Order: sequence, then C-alpha cells, then structure tokens
Amino acid sequence: MTRPTEKEILAVASAAGVPVDKEVATRIANSIGPAFEGFAAIAGTLPFDLEPSTFVVVQTEKAAR
Amino acid sequence: MSTEPALMSLTAVASAIADRRISSREVTQSCLDRIAKWQPHLNAFMVLEADEALKAADAADAALAKGGRRGPLHGVPLAHKDMYYEEGRVVTCGSRIRRDFVATSTSTALQRLKDAGTIRLGSLQMAEFAYGPTGHNAHFGPVHNPFALAHVTGGSSSGSGSAVAARLTFAALGSDTGGSIRMPAHFCGVTGLKTTVGRVSRAGAMPLSQSLDTVGPLARTAEDCAVLLGLMAGADPADPTAIAGAVPDYAAATAQSMKGLTIGVPSAFYVDDLDPEVASVLDATIAVFKREGANVIQVDLPDQRQLAGASQLVLAVEAAAFHKRWLIERPQDYGPQVLMRLQNGLAISGVTYLEALRWRGPALAAHVAATANVDAVIAPVSPIPAPTIAESDVGNAPNAEAVIQRLTRFTRPINYLGLPSLSIPSGFTKGGLPIGLQLVGRSFDEATILRIGAAFQRATDFHEKVPQLP
Repeated sequence: MTRPTEKEILAVASAAGVPVDKEVATRIANSIGPAFEGFAAIAGTLPFDLEPSTFVVVQTEKAAR
Repeated sequence: MSTEPALMSLTAVASAIADRRISSREVTQSCLDRIAKWQPHLNAFMVLEADEALKAADAADAALAKGGRRGPLHGVPLAHKDMYYEEGRVVTCGSRIRRDFVATSTSTALQRLKDAGTIRLGSLQMAEFAYGPTGHNAHFGPVHNPFALAHVTGGSSSGSGSAVAARLTFAALGSDTGGSIRMPAHFCGVTGLKTTVGRVSRAGAMPLSQSLDTVGPLARTAEDCAVLLGLMAGADPADPTAIAGAVPDYAAATAQSMKGLTIGVPSAFYVDDLDPEVASVLDATIAVFKREGANVIQVDLPDQRQLAGASQLVLAVEAAAFHKRWLIERPQDYGPQVLMRLQNGLAISGVTYLEALRWRGPALAAHVAATANVDAVIAPVSPIPAPTIAESDVGNAPNAEAVIQRLTRFTRPINYLGLPSLSIPSGFTKGGLPIGLQLVGRSFDEATILRIGAAFQRATDFHEKVPQLP
C-alpha cells in the first residue's frame, strides 16, 4: 500500500460526503502519506478470520497475565 | 507542612484537610493566590471560578466540622481539562464551535472525583478538540510552560500540565489519544498517567477517537495519580467499554519498592535519534532503577513505525467521523491546523481503516510476546525537550504534520496498543527544561508502573522542583 494520490483523495473525500479541492487534496496526500507507508507492510496481509474484537480478547486474556 | 498550602501534594493536602490541620478555604485561597500571580503568564485556565470555589470550600469546612467528610479528597480544589462535561456548565473543548456549549450531563470521571469531595476551581485550557500535541490554540492562545515561558507545554492537555506544574491545582484530568497526557507531563515536569483503554469510563468526556481515547490524571506524584485512578476506575453503565471487576488498590501498590521487578529498555526506535540530554536522562534513570533493586534488561520490540502508522490511520478516520457535521457546516470555525488534521481522515478508505483496526489484536499479542520477561518498559516520551512556542507554531504549513509526528513518535504506538503508560519527571536540561520518561505497562496493570514511578520518586527529587516566575 502506498500513499494515496491526489486523485484518490478527491474521490474518497467526495464519497465521505466532505469534498475537498485539489489544493487540499495535495496537502492531505503529503500529510497522511507517512501513515500509509508505515502500515504498508501489514495492509493486505491479515488473515480472513481476524475480527477487530480480537484486540479486546488479547487485552483481557493475554496481556493482563 | 509547607508555608504555602498550594505547594503540597494532593495526598498530603487531603490528609491535612481531613485532620483539620488546615481548612479547605486556606487551601483554596492559596491556589487562588498562585493563580492570580501565574495565570497572566501561563494562560493555563480557561475559566476561573474563584468566588464559587471559596463558597464550596467554606461549605466543605462546615460539613467537616459536623463530621460530614464527603470522601477521601474532601475539600481539595481541582481544575480539569475543559472537555469533561459538567451539567449546566459551558464546556468549550478548546474550540470556537463549542464556545457556548452547555453540558446536559456530568462525565463519570468528573462525578466520581466530585463524589470523593473535590471542589471546582474552574476549567483548564487545551488544544482545540484535543487535537494537537504542542499547546497552541488558535482561538484562546498558547499555554506557556511554567519552567520556561517561551516554551510549549505540550498538548493536548496543555492547561493541565501547566497548572499542575505551577502548583495552581493539585491535580487535573487530562485525556490521551496520541500522547495528550504524557506530552505535557514530559514538557512541564509533572507526573501523567495514560490509562489502559477500558480502565476509566469515557462517558461525558469529549470524544476524539473511540478506539484510542483514554481518561487519566496529571499530578505531582505517582502516588497522587494512584489515588485519583482508584477513585475513577471501574465499570460504568454509561460506558460499556469500561471494564467490570474489582479496582486494584493502586495507592497500596505505590508503597512498594521496585526491588525484584524487571524493566525493559528498547533496543531500537525509542533510543534512536534522541536529543543528547534526553539520552543522558534515560541512562541516569536506568542507573536509578538498578540502584533501587530492579533488574534492567534490553527488549526487542516489534516494528513501532507500523504501530504509529496504524494509530494515525485509526485516529484520523474516527476524528473526521466525529467532526463530519461541523466539517460540512462550519469549517471556517476551526483553527487552521485542526481543520487540516481533521481533513486528513477524509483520505482514508473504509477498508484501510478497518484493516488498521483488525491488526490491533495481533499487534498487541506480538508486543506481549516481546515483553513477556519484563514488568514494564522504560522509554522517552518524546525525542526532545519542550521546543519554543515560536519554533513549533507551524499552523497548517506543509511540514506541520511532520513536526507533529516527530514530537509524538514515541507516544502513538502505545495508544494503538491501548497500554497504560506513566510519564514521570526524570531530569532537567542544562537550560532548566523538564524531561519526562514513560513507563509502559501491561494492559490493566497500572499498579506496577505506579509502583515503579513512586519508588523512583522516593529516590529522586525531580518531581519536587517548583518553577519560579522570572
């Protein structure tokens, strides 16, 4: 996963119901890009059966040993 | 007893009031005297309610005289970050948008402290909607660091850090979603506790990110934080995410030494690219831990950059979702930096957001495995001491997010994992700026990090340094 392009941001923001102009989209791309890059190694690799609630399971059963 | 009651710790002043060695009025007046002196320099208070506070103090004294002690903090004056709802009062959340918002209910955390007998001094400044790590606020002006007025306090609990450091309040509630308690604790030389996600009810606390938000105290000592946590923690019907079960005796934990505990020092990331004075304080702190009987070992943590990235993706989307209505209707009423950061969330698809949430369990499991042999991990809160207000006033400049990310690079991964973390005053730069380090514990094991923090504070005096006006 790479940082979103200006074009992709324009589309996603519009779909979210808060359209932004091209200048803002360019700024967002630079601003949020590093977060996408940090998460790139994980994105698209998670197993099928993994639910977000797994966090609570780990938190309460494993982490608080 | 100090000649100036406001200089006492929370636990000491509560005990002195309970024993009637000092009255709540004397204590409250002492705080008000200091506020009158410091507020023009700090801008720490959003609203000061001096007359009401004195009336409440008199009522507390009268009740105590009749044997009516309300709770363990009877008659202790406090002020909190202006994002905790209190029925009938304006709660600005540091914003123009909520400048006139009157809460219709009282937050659970605040109510529990009120039930313990505390009285209200007023409310404290904060970053707009708790979305900024420096202490700047486009609407209400920056809050100043009591140890160096030209420097930032850190945020978003900027007023809390500043007011506790200057001894204007004995403690203050903050909130921590990406570092907002630990940053001001580090920059202002106070003790700050980020609690485990789920430890303290968030009902009636302004939301920023439902997955990452935590409620916690800033105070002068780990013991004070322990007392406050003990009062606030526990199940709450108004917030199903607050876990049930018995609340540990945190205050009792702080009486123990750190002998026999094992503290981990990360082998990478948290020790990379540190300001030399921060690195020196980390080394000195490790030496204290060893001297106090702790076993200190190196730990190899999973890739923290991945955690920071996931944390930012989750926060950005959830914050944008909370603010969507105002982003549509009132974008002009946000400060430029907060608007910019909220807009970041618009760039992230639903699939990416959910991937970042789904990874949280495996990421925590990997952390648990990596830290299986330690009771806590010690790390800097930030790579640098407090920058100046001028140099960190980046607004919505193209490099603003990069500056923010550098400041918070050591706090965000901990928020993603939902772990508790205690920031403790650990030293000062040659120029007199405080440096704090964070003790990161296991989920729901605040007791151990409070124990280590308290033992460290018995062996050092960094937390006792009182700032002086120039």
